[in-house]
Amino acid sequence: MTESGTQLKAAPVNGTPVEGIVKRQASVITWVASRGIFIFTGVLLVFSVIFVNGFASSVNIIDVFHRASAIGIVAIGMTFVVISANYIDLSVVAQVATAGVILLALSPTYGVLGAMAIALFFALLYGVVNGVSVGFLKANAVVVTLGTTGIGAGILSLLTTGTIYYGPENGPIDAFGDARVGPFPLSAFVLILVAVIASIVLSRTKFGFMIRSYGSNKQATRLAGVNSGGVVVGAFVLTSIAAMIAGFVLAAYSNTAVATMSEGFDFRALAAVIIGGNSLFGGRGSILRTFLGVIFISVLSNILVLSGFSFAWQQLVTGAVIVFAVALDALARKAEKR
Amino acid sequence: MSTTMKLQETQTGTWNRVKNAVARRTEGRAVILLILVVGVIAVQQPIVFNAYGVSLARVALVGLVALGLTLVVLQGELDLSVGSTLALTGVVVASIPDLGLGIIAGLVTGVAIGALNAFLIVLIGVNSFIATLGTLFALRGLAFVMSDGRPVRITDIDSALVFGRELLGPITPRVLIFILLFVMLQFFISKMRAGREFYAVGGNRQAAIDAGIPVKLRLFTSFMLCGFVAALAGVINTLELTAADPTAGSTVLLASFAAVIIGGNLLNGGRGSLVGTLIGAFALGLMQVGLTFAGADREVQDVLIGIVLLVAITTDPNNLRALSRRLQGLIRGKANQQA
Repeated sequence: MTESGTQLKAAPVNGTPVEGIVKRQASVITWVASRGIFIFTGVLLVFSVIFVNGFASSVNIIDVFHRASAIGIVAIGMTFVVISANYIDLSVVAQVATAGVILLALSPTYGVLGAMAIALFFALLYGVVNGVSVGFLKANAVVVTLGTTGIGAGILSLLTTGTIYYGPENGPIDAFGDARVGPFPLSAFVLILVAVIASIVLSRTKFGFMIRSYGSNKQATRLAGVNSGGVVVGAFVLTSIAAMIAGFVLAAYSNTAVATMSEGFDFRALAAVIIGGNSLFGGRGSILRTFLGVIFISVLSNILVLSGFSFAWQQLVTGAVIVFAVALDALARKAEKR
Repeated sequence: MSTTMKLQETQTGTWNRVKNAVARRTEGRAVILLILVVGVIAVQQPIVFNAYGVSLARVALVGLVALGLTLVVLQGELDLSVGSTLALTGVVVASIPDLGLGIIAGLVTGVAIGALNAFLIVLIGVNSFIATLGTLFALRGLAFVMSDGRPVRITDIDSALVFGRELLGPITPRVLIFILLFVMLQFFISKMRAGREFYAVGGNRQAAIDAGIPVKLRLFTSFMLCGFVAALAGVINTLELTAADPTAGSTVLLASFAAVIIGGNLLNGGRGSLVGTLIGAFALGLMQVGLTFAGADREVQDVLIGIVLLVAITTDPNNLRALSRRLQGLIRGKANQQA
C-alpha cells in the first residue's frame, strides 16, 4: 500500500469496506461447487482402482481414453454454448452421427478429404441455423435445438434407413482408428489438441472474452458495442465443429458408422460440462473444468460397465449426476448472493 | 401526433371491435397451421376425416401432454420431462398386476415427478430447462431399468380392452377424458383466482410476489398438474396399447412442445391460452395421422414436427411485430429521404 509513493492515493472512505469482503467469504457449498470436481474425480479414481475389478489394467485404461475422446470433444465444444448462457445444444447427437455417417458413406466416392468437407458443410449448417435462431431471433436454445434434432436425426435415419456403414479395411480411416502413440490411442491426442485450442480461444482471444462477457451480462455486452447475435452464432458454430470432429473420431474408432451411433452424447456431454463446475448461469467456466468432468463421466460409466450395469443404469446414474450438479450450482449461486 | 392518437382511440364500430378482439388473440399461427394441414389433408388424404376415431385419439394423446405443459409455460417455466414421465408411468402401470392399483400408482408417480421438478426449480433455484432436462434423462433411464429395455405387457388385458371401446360414436374414454380435462383446465385458468394468478406469475414474477400471490405454491401447482396430466396420458396410452413401451414419448415430447409454442404461448410466460394449445394439438395430431395414412415413415413425422417447432419458436408474434416495426421505420425513413 505505502510503497506506491508516486501513484495517486485512493481517497479515504468512511465506514467499513471490509464488511463487503467478509460477506463474500466462501461457504462450504460455494467451495464444493467451484473446487469439488478435483476432489470428486480424485475420489472416484481412487475408489475405482481399489474396489472395481479390472479397472487398473492397461487394456481398460486405453478403452477409457478411447471412449472419453469422442464425448470429451463434444463436451469441450458444448462448453462454449454453456458459457454463453444458452444452457445446451441438444442437437449434438444428430451432429455427431451425421459427421460419422458422411465420413464413412461418402469417402469411397469423394475421398476422405471430400467427405470431410461435406461433413464440415453440414456442421456449419447446424451451427448457423441454431446460432441465428438463438442469437438473432431470440428463441430459446433448448427448444431450438430440440427442433433441429428432430429435423436432423429424422432426415439422417430416413436417408440411411438403418444401414451400417463400414470403412475399407486398412484404409486411412481405419489406420487412424488403430494408431497408437505409446500406449495411448491417437484419438486421445486429438482430444488434448482440441482442448488446448479451445482453451486458447476461450481465455486468450477477443472472441473468448466476448462469449464470457455475453454469458455474464447480455445487455451490458450489447451496449458495449459487441455484435451479440454474432457471438452466439460463433458459440454454436464452434460446438458444431467440435461435434463433427467427435463424429470422425467415433467413426474411425470402430471403422463403422450408423445413424444411432451417438445415442446419449447430449446428456453425457452436458453432464461432463456441469460436473466440471462450469456455471449454467453463464459467464464462468474453463476448458480444464470440462476436461476433468469428461474424465469423471467416462470413469463413472466405465466402472458401471465393469460392474455389470446396463446402459439404462448408466442413463439413470448420469441423469442423477446432472441433477445433483445443477442443484449444487444453483445452491452455490444462492449462497453467493446472500 | 396526439390528435391522431385520440382519433384512433375513439374509433368504434363493429369492425374495429372485431379487429381489436382478433389482434388481442394469440392463436393466429395455430389457426394458420390448422387451415394448412386441413387443406392439404382434404386434397391428399380425405380418408383422415372418415377415420375420425383414429384422428381424435392421436389428437388427444398429443393434446393431453400439451395442455399440462401449457400450465407450466404460462408461468415462464418449461417441463422437458413430460415425455419421460409418460414412458415411466406406462411401465409402472404395466408392471403392477392389479390394473386399478397400477393406474393409481402411475398417476401418483406423475404427481411425484412434478413435485420433484418443482422442488429443484422453486426451492433449490435450478433453471427449469436444465432441471427438467436432468429428470428427463434420469427418468428415461429409470423406465429402461424397470422394463429391461423391452415393452411390458399388461397382465389384465381384458379390463384394459374395455377402456378402448367406443362409448358414443367416435368418443372413446381417452377422448372423453381429454375433453373433460380441457374444459376443467380452461375453467380453472380463466375463471378461478388461482388460475388467473398463473398469468401474473408468468408476466412479472416480482410484481406477483409484491401483490401477495403465493408464487411458490402456484409454481408447485403447475408442475404437479403437468406431471399428473403427462402421467394420465401415459396411463391412457398403455391401456389402449395393452403394453408399455419404455421408448415411448420422444415424438410426443417434440409434438407437444410444437403444439404449445405454435399455439401462441410465450416461453417467457404470461401470455397464451389453452385454446391455442388445443388448436395446435389438433393441427399436429391431424398432420401425424395424415402422414401415417399416406404411408410415410415415423422419421418424416419427426422432421415435419421439428420444422413446425423451429418455425414456431423463431416467429413469435412479439419478435415479428418488433421486426416489422423496424422494417416500416426503415421504409418510411427512405421515403422521407426521397421526398
